[in-house]
Amino acid sequence: MKRFLLSLTLALACAGTAQAQCFADYKAKKDAPLRLHYGVAQIGGACDARSAARELTPRLAASGWTLLQVQSVFGPEGLDQRKNSAGQYYLRF
Amino acid sequence: MPDNTTSASDIRRTGGRLVIAGVGGILALLIAAALLLFITLPDSRAFDARVEAMFIENADLTGQAEIKLLEILAQSGTAFADTLASYRLVIFVLLVFATGMMIAALVFLILLVGFNRRMAQIERAGIQVNSLLISREENTVYLNNLGFKLTDAAMETMSILAEARMDDDVLSGSEIEGMISGRSAADCEEAAGATRIKRLRDTLGNQIVSELLVKNIARRGYMLAVEKDVIKVL
Repeated sequence: MKRFLLSLTLALACAGTAQAQCFADYKAKKDAPLRLHYGVAQIGGACDARSAARELTPRLAASGWTLLQVQSVFGPEGLDQRKNSAGQYYLRF
Repeated sequence: MPDNTTSASDIRRTGGRLVIAGVGGILALLIAAALLLFITLPDSRAFDARVEAMFIENADLTGQAEIKLLEILAQSGTAFADTLASYRLVIFVLLVFATGMMIAALVFLILLVGFNRRMAQIERAGIQVNSLLISREENTVYLNNLGFKLTDAAMETMSILAEARMDDDVLSGSEIEGMISGRSAADCEEAAGATRIKRLRDTLGNQIVSELLVKNIARRGYMLAVEKDVIKVL
C-alpha cells in the first residue's frame, strides 16, 4: 500500500514535471441541419494548435462532429474563463 | 432564267425541315434555361456554408447563446432555400408551358405559310373540284356548291361517268352509249358516245364559264367575273 501510494505520487510528479497539462478550445460543426459548438478538450500530445487539431479530429468524428478550427492551446490556468462558453462541451471530447 | 416553279412536295419538305430546326432550337433554349436555373439558384448548403464561415472568422463568437443564434440563422436560410426550390419548380413548369406555346406557334406559323402557298396555287390552277353532288330529281350537278342544270340526256352521261369513276373505270364512247341505250356495247357506235360527251361538255362548260368568268347580269348585260387588278394586257 505504501509502495503503491509512493509510486503514484512519483508518477504524478513525473507527469507534472515532464509535461504540463494541455488544453485546447475549438470550434466544430455537424451538417444537415447545421449545428455548431465551441468546446474545450484536453490534449495528450504536443501542446500546439496543429497537433491538437490532429488529435481532436478523430475524437470528434467518432460522434459525428467535424472540427472546423482549433482556436488556441492553453494550460489549466485558462480553463475557468472558458468553462461558461463551452457549456456541455467543456472537456467532453 | 430563274426557276419560278415550286411543287407541293418541295414546300412540305422545307416546311418539315423548318419545323424540326425550330423545335430543336426551342428545346435547346429550354434546356439551357433550365440548366441555368438549376445552377444559379443557391441550395441550402450555401446558407450553411456562409454561417459556418461567419462562425470561424469571428473568434469571440463562442457564447452558447450566440452559437444558438447562428444555428437558427442557418435554419432560416435552409427554410428559405426550400421556398427557393418550390419557386424553381414553378419557374420550370412555366418554362415548359412557354416552350409548348412556342412550339405550337411555330407549327401553326409554318402551317399558315404552307396553306397560303397552297391557296395561291389553287387560285392559279383555277377551279378545283372538292365536291361533286348529282341530284337526279332536280337534274342538277353541284360542283363546289355551284349548281349547274343539265338536260336529261346529259344527266345520264354524268351519272354513268361518276359511277365509272367511283369504280376507277375508263369508258369508251360505245360503252357509254351502250349503257344509256341499254344495248350491248358492241352494237353501239363510238361516235354516238362521243356526241353525248360533247353535249355534256357544252352544257356544263358553258355554265361553268358563265358562273366563273363571263357573268350575265339580268336585264343589264355581261361582264367578266374577275377582279379588276388581276387583269393585265400585254
